[in-house]
Amino acid sequence: MKTLIIDAEKCSGCRACETYCSLKHDGECNPAKGRIHVIKWEQEAIFVPINCLRCEEPACEMVCPKGATYRNYMTGAMEVDPHRCIGCLSCVFACPFGATFVDLDNGKVLKCDLCDGDPTCAKVCPTGAIVCEEISKEAYLKLIQNADRIPVLVKQALGRNQ
Amino acid sequence: MYGWVGNILFIDLTSGDVTTESTESYVENYLGGRGLGVRLIYDHYKPGTDAFDPSNPLIFNTGPLSGTALSGSGRVDVTALSPMSQLRAKSNFGAYWGPELKFAGYDHVMIRGKAAKPCYIWIKDDKVEIRDAEHIWGKDTFETQKAIQEELGDPEIKSVCIGPAGEKLVRFACILTETGDAAGRTGMGAVMGSKNLKAVAVRGSGGIRVARPNEFLELSIKINNEIREHPAYKELSVFGVARGVHMMYQLSFFPVGYFEDVCWDDILEGYSGADYVEKNQVKNMGCFCCPNRCMNFFSKPGIGKGLTSCEPFSGFTGAVWNLNMDTFLEATLMVNKLGMDCTETSAAISLLMELYHHKIITEKDTDGIAMERGSKEAILGTIQKIANREGYGDLLAEGPKVFAETIGTDAVEKVDIVKGLAPHAYEFRAYKGTGLMQAVGHRGDPLPLRGSLLEVDWNHAPDWFQQVAKEQFGDSEAAIPTSYKGKAFSTILSEHMERVADNLGVCKWLYGLFIYYDVNMATEVFNLATGKDWDVPRLLKISERVRNLERMFDVRQGLTRKDDSLPKKFFEEPLKKGKFEGEVLDRDKFEAMKDEYYTLRGWDVKTGIPTREKLEELDLKDVADEVLQK
Repeated sequence: MKTLIIDAEKCSGCRACETYCSLKHDGECNPAKGRIHVIKWEQEAIFVPINCLRCEEPACEMVCPKGATYRNYMTGAMEVDPHRCIGCLSCVFACPFGATFVDLDNGKVLKCDLCDGDPTCAKVCPTGAIVCEEISKEAYLKLIQNADRIPVLVKQALGRNQ
Repeated sequence: MYGWVGNILFIDLTSGDVTTESTESYVENYLGGRGLGVRLIYDHYKPGTDAFDPSNPLIFNTGPLSGTALSGSGRVDVTALSPMSQLRAKSNFGAYWGPELKFAGYDHVMIRGKAAKPCYIWIKDDKVEIRDAEHIWGKDTFETQKAIQEELGDPEIKSVCIGPAGEKLVRFACILTETGDAAGRTGMGAVMGSKNLKAVAVRGSGGIRVARPNEFLELSIKINNEIREHPAYKELSVFGVARGVHMMYQLSFFPVGYFEDVCWDDILEGYSGADYVEKNQVKNMGCFCCPNRCMNFFSKPGIGKGLTSCEPFSGFTGAVWNLNMDTFLEATLMVNKLGMDCTETSAAISLLMELYHHKIITEKDTDGIAMERGSKEAILGTIQKIANREGYGDLLAEGPKVFAETIGTDAVEKVDIVKGLAPHAYEFRAYKGTGLMQAVGHRGDPLPLRGSLLEVDWNHAPDWFQQVAKEQFGDSEAAIPTSYKGKAFSTILSEHMERVADNLGVCKWLYGLFIYYDVNMATEVFNLATGKDWDVPRLLKISERVRNLERMFDVRQGLTRKDDSLPKKFFEEPLKKGKFEGEVLDRDKFEAMKDEYYTLRGWDVKTGIPTREKLEELDLKDVADEVLQK
């Protein structure tokens, strides 16, 4: 089984991941419908892609009143069953990483499904900021390192580290 | 519609009126992007009015592929009447604003009129608001971007804006995007300033529908991956053009100083762009969905942070005899913040250095600043003076010729101008085809196109590129820089290829120059995105129509064959050194190339004006009726 590993430090902010994601899932080019989103500080060259981290104990799953959020054990992804979802957005607000999104056109929850185990974003990310790797101890360590970098980059972008 | 989002937005700053029109009726003949913009300006510009007249329409044009998942889909074409030439202006920027405009639901925006006081436009999907900008008037372009995001409470707003130079109507002021990429040439920032318009801020929540999403997705991924395996990518995504610049100097393709010389030994030995990138570059950045990221983001304590690419690399090094890369970065960031075209600004400084070197001016003519070659004070001081319109900078802001006229005929003689613009940043004495492209081009400096790059590439592998020229342009000599043969046809085909990318709203670097050397791939993705079934000849035919309409716009402004020229320096002063030592343009052969060009184009050889027959063949009868009757 593979997982996405995202290193914000490498991101060049091109928005390919968001746009390809919407094209893949909704058949249109619209970053606002991406299941991944890049927070951008162009003038600082700092970009932080936000995507589902597939938590061990996912808040989105726990808060869902209808049990619509579930883990796909084939891929490891947390998915939302659209037939059960009532659009209460509890999962969107509960996610500690802001990585569960909502389609403002129809209230549908947008959640990374890892493209059934073959993520499109990783295929087009030019900088290696998004890669898809087999789950292993090394991959796990990378995830932790990458997570540590995010607050550093955000502080830097906001000018709060000097 | 698929690809196009279907609306042209019209904003009148005088009356405050906001209206829309459908894009659809223009598409068959003009496609979109640059081409459709040319039709809009032809129809809406009132002949004879000044560039600073409120009626001058400032038009932003995206194409059907802009904002799609396709690599290099971030481009926007800008047009208006140019305050530098009184001809049609054309400039193009990348970054992220164009896609955002399409997500908001517009393919094109035309801004007319003049606001009573400083304002900015705020486009949020179908809501368009003209807002007060008095509190941001005077701010630099970086501050302006931030101030608007803060005021509207959304850090994802994309703005294009002008700096102090545009507000003060410096004739070569530019429009800057959020990354520092700019619509640099032809003075579009001055036109914005003349309308009291500080910025156009956009946020869209919609998407771009694609006719065949699965196939489009598959092909877009393939293109993304192909680009990343290309040798050009491996260079550009790491160094940008920083290393390429050195090669261009070696090949006598970039001018040193004010076209005074090529192969300046010091720059060949001392140019340290690549080292500077290695030491001070934070990362490479690019435009929307582009893996190529050909721009360099630098951070240097004491100087600042920001992007640079392409022409500033030669403009603020060789053109001003400067080997200090800190000065290069400082100058580049300064022109970006003040909102001026780096190419025109560096050319103006370059002219001052030439005049000073030849003792035509002294420091008394330049407010006490000695215009020594390479002087940091001369470079940075002049930038400030122009942007603030102080002293000699006020004259330069009106164009180098206005400054030279106050000095005298010696100085006027030195000024190199092609259709109102500095002919930088390319050198033509050895590269005859590039010279022709420049001379007949739609503005003073069209970026040398496919045929021009072929002349440069020839240096690396003459036999191979002669073979390519034979296949693409029907004459192997089209690739040989010093030959006059085959250049007219390669110019025409290159002009058409360039317009395909510009009409589609994609990057012509990728789709015409470096990665795909023809327009086949661009046509294929166009069909998948829009659901059309058009072939390459049809897209090239639209390009020809656009080229002819561009020409007719300028003919209506009074342009004739004599304007298709280059400064006499290129005919009279041979190159003194380097690989092409002794090369100079032969006037008779040059004029013969032009004859050939007009003939192949179906234009009148004597006047350089398209014939009625040609215009009618291109469905431009209405244009022939209006302009040729005079």
